[in-house]
Formats: sequence, structure tokens, C-alpha cells
Amino acid sequence: MHINRRQLLGLGMLLAGASSWVVGKDIPGQASLFLSAAADAADGHWVYGFTLTQTNAEQMFKTALPARAHHIAVNAQYGFFVVVARRPGTWMVLADLHTGNVIRQIQVPANRHLFGHGVFSADGRFFYTTESDFADMQGDSGRVVVWEVTGEDGVATLTRMQEFPTFGVGPHELILLPDTQTLVVANGGIRTHPDHDRDNLNIDSMLPSLVYLNRYSGELLEQQFLPSQFQQASIRHLDVNADGMVVMAMQFEGEPFMEVPLLATHLRGQPLQLLLAPPDVQVQMHQYVGSVRFSLDGRYFAAGCPLGNMVTFWDSHSGSMINSIRARDGCGVCATETGFVFSTGTGRVAHIDLASGTVTEHEAPEFNQLLWDNHLSSVAIELSA
Amino acid sequence: MPRSGIAILSLLLSAQLSAQTPPDWTAVNLALTDTIVIPAYGKFAENATTLQQQSASFCSDITPASLVNLQTNYQLTLDTWQAMQNIQFGPITYFNWNYRLQYWPDDNGTGARQLAALISSKDVSVLNTETFARQSVGVQGFQALELLLFSEQSLALLQGDPYQCQLVQTISANISEIASGVMQRWVDEFRSTIATADERGFFESAQDATIDFLKATVEPIRTLQRQKLEAVLGENFAASRIRRAESWRADRSIRNMRINVASIDLLFNGASPALSSVLPAEDIEGINASIILIKTTLDSLPDSMAVVLQSEAGYNSLKQVASEFDALYELLEASLKKTDLYLGFNSLDGD
Repeated sequence: MHINRRQLLGLGMLLAGASSWVVGKDIPGQASLFLSAAADAADGHWVYGFTLTQTNAEQMFKTALPARAHHIAVNAQYGFFVVVARRPGTWMVLADLHTGNVIRQIQVPANRHLFGHGVFSADGRFFYTTESDFADMQGDSGRVVVWEVTGEDGVATLTRMQEFPTFGVGPHELILLPDTQTLVVANGGIRTHPDHDRDNLNIDSMLPSLVYLNRYSGELLEQQFLPSQFQQASIRHLDVNADGMVVMAMQFEGEPFMEVPLLATHLRGQPLQLLLAPPDVQVQMHQYVGSVRFSLDGRYFAAGCPLGNMVTFWDSHSGSMINSIRARDGCGVCATETGFVFSTGTGRVAHIDLASGTVTEHEAPEFNQLLWDNHLSSVAIELSA
Repeated sequence: MPRSGIAILSLLLSAQLSAQTPPDWTAVNLALTDTIVIPAYGKFAENATTLQQQSASFCSDITPASLVNLQTNYQLTLDTWQAMQNIQFGPITYFNWNYRLQYWPDDNGTGARQLAALISSKDVSVLNTETFARQSVGVQGFQALELLLFSEQSLALLQGDPYQCQLVQTISANISEIASGVMQRWVDEFRSTIATADERGFFESAQDATIDFLKATVEPIRTLQRQKLEAVLGENFAASRIRRAESWRADRSIRNMRINVASIDLLFNGASPALSSVLPAEDIEGINASIILIKTTLDSLPDSMAVVLQSEAGYNSLKQVASEFDALYELLEASLKKTDLYLGFNSLDGD
């Protein structure tokens, strides 16, 4: 059964879409709601929802999670979000976008695990996750699973509908192109198995790729591989701008001293554009970019480098890095009207104005001793009167 | 209130205020920088210069005695590098200097393969420090030099192949140049970066800089446990593999660890104010007792892990050291959790 908006009236009024981030601006009744997984000093795991004022942060809710999570996908149309377990977790928590109250927890089948990421279709009716068919230890075990957004007693749930291959191993983040029909999947290329915890089992033979799939049929539309000398750069995280340019972020599993592009951009039908930071910055990135997001105008992107203790900023037109700022364990990034909000594993939340480079800290007493996890999500909400 | 009561109350209030007063992060950082880090890098640069000088004259007189002399200089230089190996922030990370000095563990044998290829090539154009600096990381530092100086056939090979001896000279010069470069950058710029950390330049704050010193104290304990010991020991005595040990050719794997632990101890306790002062006071005694236990155990063992691993009793003594490292790490981690000093979260295990 498809759920409709009337059935979700109790969950709060929402603005559709993600087009009006209003960090730091006082627009009555509106705010950007930021969502992030976090751990606390007692090793508890949570998802926090918060808004930002000029210099502070205001916690809207916090919700306990069964274990460490990774990414949060937002369904603005129906007023809920999905917290996806960090790999090799098997659970997803659906929660109310306005209150953070848990709606339900969903488990994937026993022979599968998640990779921490999911994305909703543009109309909010379907949800796509990446999974591992880990019983297959030889072939391409990556899967996209299609879930339908349905309702049980007027409350949202996800119903597992179909799946198709990702034509690779270890798929991680997936996104939808602006055409709303094409899924883009980051095949990390690394084979793991829950019996071996998070160990990488095929570093010497890994083959990451970027794939474009028809979201209805799973048809492979395009597949891009890295040059062979960079084959150990696991493609993990993605974003796309309104022009359909995909940016991908990588984690290199080879020698720590090799100069390897950790970021690349791609347009359908064209070669990958591999990007390098200036040498003195590139070496400090320590072979790992943990998240990447385009600016709202789609020209720039921010890349969180937690091992390098920095967030870097790039111009997608030139492919050049334009700025970097120190941010210990910095990872989560999210676009705003004037730049980006970023979060760190040391509990920091800050905003950078891209034009001026001004960094504004946003603090809240509730955030003391919190460790923000890899990814930051946001959605425009209307505040209750 | 009687005067004695007022005095007691004052003392109690003073103690409470002290407990709540945050550390002077800048004072801690500069004490570490000025009294430990820069002097240690200075010693490293000094020994590396001596090694370079000895290498320069070595090739014109290659004898068993001159080889032993050069090996001794290698050992002394490596001692001073091992004392700084735990510092993996700041200038040592520029230009991949850390890996160029020592790339270990080299699980794929990259360094040995690259060195063999270079020897085969007899390419004399790389035998100057400027060109050599652009060669593969694996041929540039201590690992390559150890291969050349401490293999069973080293004397014969060095006497028979001038190119290999020239490589010894070039690598020694490279190490010396890097050592001097690192030291000078600490003196010329990085000390200032640390002193002004609260001005939000390179560092977020002075506390952010202290965290790097803490990482240099805490994280190497896991390296010692897992890479320098457990990877060698394997699942049992029969599975132990000495060739997985650091510096196995120079037969000084335990000597390295002894120096590493002394360095961790010095970093933790040796400055004034001490780095240990940023952790809860009630935890320090236990942490230091754990450090002393490890030091005592390592002091009782020879430099050579190969010798120790000749017996199952020796194997067990190393297993014991590994568990002592684990206990020390847990103590430090538990202590850190009581503070707002986070060594890493997203950076510790990717995604």
C-alpha cells in the first residue's frame, strides 16, 4: 500500500525538496534540520537532529540507535528519515523527521549486510540501499536493493521489492542523477565477510568502479574504472550537481606514500577527471577522503579528510583545490546557501562561508563529548509554532 | 570559624579549583617541543651526519673492520630515529619524509624489490641527493641501508660492486639531509606554529596541538603490540616468523622496542609541565606502573628477537610483553575517555 501525505499529518509539516538551506538566517518558522549519527563518551550510539542559529546549535532531538550508524537518508515527502547501519550492520531505523521518534527498525535478510548508505527516489516512493551478498566470495557480490515506501496503520515502512547487481564488489554510497531515473553507485571494490569483521580480503585484486544503473530494471548503463595504477583507490562516496556531474571520493588501500587521486569528477559518457591537491596538501590527506558534497550552486565541493584532520574545498570547473581548513577528524559536510557546514569526530560543528573563508563555530551544551560520525545530512523544515 | 577551620577550607577550595582548572596547553606543548622533541631531532641529525661522513670514506676502504664501524654508526643513527619514530605529525610528514626514512612494515616487499631493481640498473644519475630524493620511497632510508649493510653477503657484495657502495653513501646522505631538514623546520617554523596554536592557524587550538602529542604517545603502543610483536609471533611458537620483525637483519628488533617505550615514557612524563598532567591525576600512577612493567620486561631481554624466539619460553615472554602493551593502551584509552581529548573517531577505521 502506498502511503500518502494525509496519512502522515501527525508527523509534522515539511517543505518539499532540499533547496533552501537557511543556516544562520532568521527566517521565521523555517530552519535547516541537520542530521548526523554520533557516539558518546559511554560508547552509546545516537542520531541527532539539530538546527543552527547564528553562533549556536540547538538540539531538536536525539534518538538511541542499536549500534554505530553511518549515513542518514531523508524522505521529505513523507516526513521520516532512515538511519543506515555502518557496515557490516544489518539494520535500518526509520524515525520521524520532526520528533526523531523511532517508527520502526528493519532488518535485512540474514545472508546480507548493508554498507551504511541509502537514497530515496525523487518522489519519495522508493528507497535504494547497497548490500553485500557475502555468500558469493568469488563474483560481483554487490547489490542494490529496492524498497517501496509503504504504510502500516498509517505509519511508514519499507517493503523489500527487488534487487539487482551493482556489477562490482563492496558497493558503498549511491545517488540519483537529476534525471531521477539513473542510480549512480560507488563500487568500492573491497571484498569483506562478516566472519572476518571489517577486514579487507582482496586488496591485491580489488577493482573499484563507478556504475550507472537504470533504477527500475537495474540495467547497466555505464561503468567507469580507474587507471590500473590507481586500482587500489576504493570508490566510496558520491555526490551529484544539477548538471549531472558526479564527484567521487576515494580511500586508497595501497602504499601510503603514493600520490594517488582521492577525488574525481565524471559526466556521463566522458572519461573520469582525476584530481590532485597541491603536493603538500595531498600528502597530508593520508589517502582517505571520507565524504564529499557539492555546494548548492553545484560548482564547488567540500571533501572531508578525517585522517588528514582537514576539510578541503574544490572548484569542479578547474578541478583545483581552492582552500583547506584544519578540522581534527573532520568528515561530515553539508551544503548551505553560502558554503558548508562540517562536523568532526571531536564534537565540532562549524560553518564555512566559501567566499570569505570565515568559519563560525556552532556549539550546544548537549554536544559536549559527542563524536560526530562520517556523514551529515540536512533538510529544510518548518518549525512548529 | 576558627583560624584552623578557615585554613582547611581554603586548602579544600584551592584543591577543588586546581582540579577544575584546565591545563595550560601551550605550556605543555612548548615544554615537549623545547625539552624533548627538538633536542631529540637534533641528536638524530647529528648522528645522521656522522653516518654520512663515515659512509663517504667507507667505499675507498671496505674491510671487515670498516664495515663493522659503519654498521655501528648505522645502529647509533637508527637509535636516534627510533626515539622519534612515534612523532608522526609536523615536519616529518612533509614530502613523505617519514616513509622515506623508514617504510615499514613493507608487507609487499616493495622496498627490497625496488632496491634490487636499482642495483641492477647501475643508474649513476640517481646517485646525488637531489635526484635520489625523487626515487622510490622504498630505496631511500633505513630499510634499504640495512639490506646493504647487514645481509650475510654484504661485505663481499660491497667489495665487489662499487655501485652498491655508492648507494650506501647516497642513502646515508639522504637520511642526513632529511634529518637536518626535519630538525630545522621544527626550529624555524613548527615551534612557532605550536606556540601560536590558539590563534587558529594550522591548529584549531593549543589543545588540538596537545592531542597530536598524545597521539604520538598512545597510538605507537598499538603499533608495538600488533606490528612489532604480534605480527611476528603469530598464533603460536611454530608460526612465529622473525623476518616479519623490524630490523631483523640488523638483529635489533627488541632494541628498537626498548627505545620506543623509553621515548613514550619521556614524552608522557619528561617535560615540565608533563603531558601526563592533561589526564586525570588518579590514572597516572597506574599508567606509569604499566610503562615500568614493560620497560623492566624489555630490559631483561637481549636486543635480538631472533635469539629470544629460539625457545618457547622466549616466545612466551614476548607474548607477555604484547599483553602488557594491550593493558597499557586500555589504561590510556580509559583515562582519555574521562576527558574531552579525542584522538580520533572517523579517522580510526574509515567506513
